[in-house]
Formats: sequence, structure tokens, C-alpha cells
Amino acid sequence: METRSVPAVLESLAEIRRFVKDAAGRARIEDSRTYQLQLAVDEIATNIILYGYKDAGEGAVISIGAERTGDALVITLKDQSPPFDPRTMQMPEAQDLVRPLEERKIGGLGIFLAIQGVDRLEYRREAGLFNALY
Amino acid sequence: MGFDISVTQGSDEATVKLSGELDAAAAPKLKETVEKVAGAKPKRLVFDVSALEFMASAGLRVLIFAKQKMGAGVSLYVIGSKGPVLNTLTMSGFHHSVILQDTYKPLE
Repeated sequence: METRSVPAVLESLAEIRRFVKDAAGRARIEDSRTYQLQLAVDEIATNIILYGYKDAGEGAVISIGAERTGDALVITLKDQSPPFDPRTMQMPEAQDLVRPLEERKIGGLGIFLAIQGVDRLEYRREAGLFNALY
Repeated sequence: MGFDISVTQGSDEATVKLSGELDAAAAPKLKETVEKVAGAKPKRLVFDVSALEFMASAGLRVLIFAKQKMGAGVSLYVIGSKGPVLNTLTMSGFHHSVILQDTYKPLE
């Protein structure tokens, strides 16, 4: 498995997307699916940085890994923020998605896009580590 | 890649052209631009996204912010969206609330 650690700041998102793009390229994943995977990982990482590590201060890191298993590409994000399973977030429902923007709530779209963009999203609490697997 | 914004103020509309990658790191800059542009009270707000390579939900939130800031009476146009950026807009249902066009043609 290839891994990299980046500072848990929004400025790292571009590097995280680049890491995913390189891994997807090596796995010969087509462009549109690569984009969806980049978007999904970007959204989860954004959540970790903005909410998970909200009070973490300097020195917080996210570790990102890429691994081929069979015909799947598994991207893993690990952090040390408080437990949060993104799959428990309330998703926008059909009636929310047709609602005019002036009546929309601001939250929930990121995890929605992440879940839509991958075949599977998993969460594991592992001795203080957060894992999101795709 | 980065993210760039250029603004053109017309008599009735303000056009905000976006290029590069619009993620959560870039979104505050766009939000600031929208706030400034809203001050001039345009009738239409036009986002040209033809050169936008990537858009996360942070970009969608700025569109929601723009609509809520400017009011229901101001139409939002999104021009030149294609491929995955267009896909994200429609998947999130934004095509119900913003006017999607290939090239800008004011509707009213």
C-alpha cells in the first residue's frame, strides 16, 4: 500500500486529490470515475479538516493510502479526530434536492456527493484512528 | 492548478468567471467576491464555469449563499458547465434553481 501524510489543512486538499489521481491512473480507472473518486476523497478530507480537527491546532495530520485489492482500488483516510461515522449523517432526500436554493440548508451535500461517487464507503474506529474506505 | 476569479460588471448583470479548482480552500475567496458583487445589486448573477476543472460541495454552498444573499428575485446563471461539474450540479438538484446555459443569453 502506498501512503502519504499531509498536514490537516485545507491547502492540502489539492495534494490529496493529486495522490488519488495518480493511484487511479496506475489502476487504469477511467477519467470520469477518477474524478468521482477524487471528489469523494476531497469531501471526506474536507470534513475531517473542518469538523474532526476543528480544535486540533497545528501538527494534526491526515494519512492517505491507496491499495489495489482484486479489481478494486481502496483509498484509506486515517485521522485522529473524535469518532464520527460519515454514513450516519442525514442525507438530503429527493424532496430536498428539488428545493429552491433560497430554502436550502447549507450542510449535508459533501457526504452525499462522496457516497454517490464511490462503490462503497466504510468507516472503522481503530485504536483512535478513523478510516474511510472506498 | 489553483483557483482564479475574474469579475465583469455589466449594467444588469455581474459575471464571475471561475477557473481552476474550486475546493473548500478556494471557496472563501469566491464567497467574498459574491458579497462584493451583491453590493452592486445586479439583476442577474452569472457564473462562467467553462474553465472550472473541479468543484466540490464547497462550491455548491457558495451558490446557495449567493441565492440567499441576493434574494429570490435575482436569477443565477451557470454558464459552460460540462462533464463532472455539470454532473455534480444536476446530482445535487441545482438545475432546478439555477439557469444552466452553454453561452449566456439573458432570459428576461
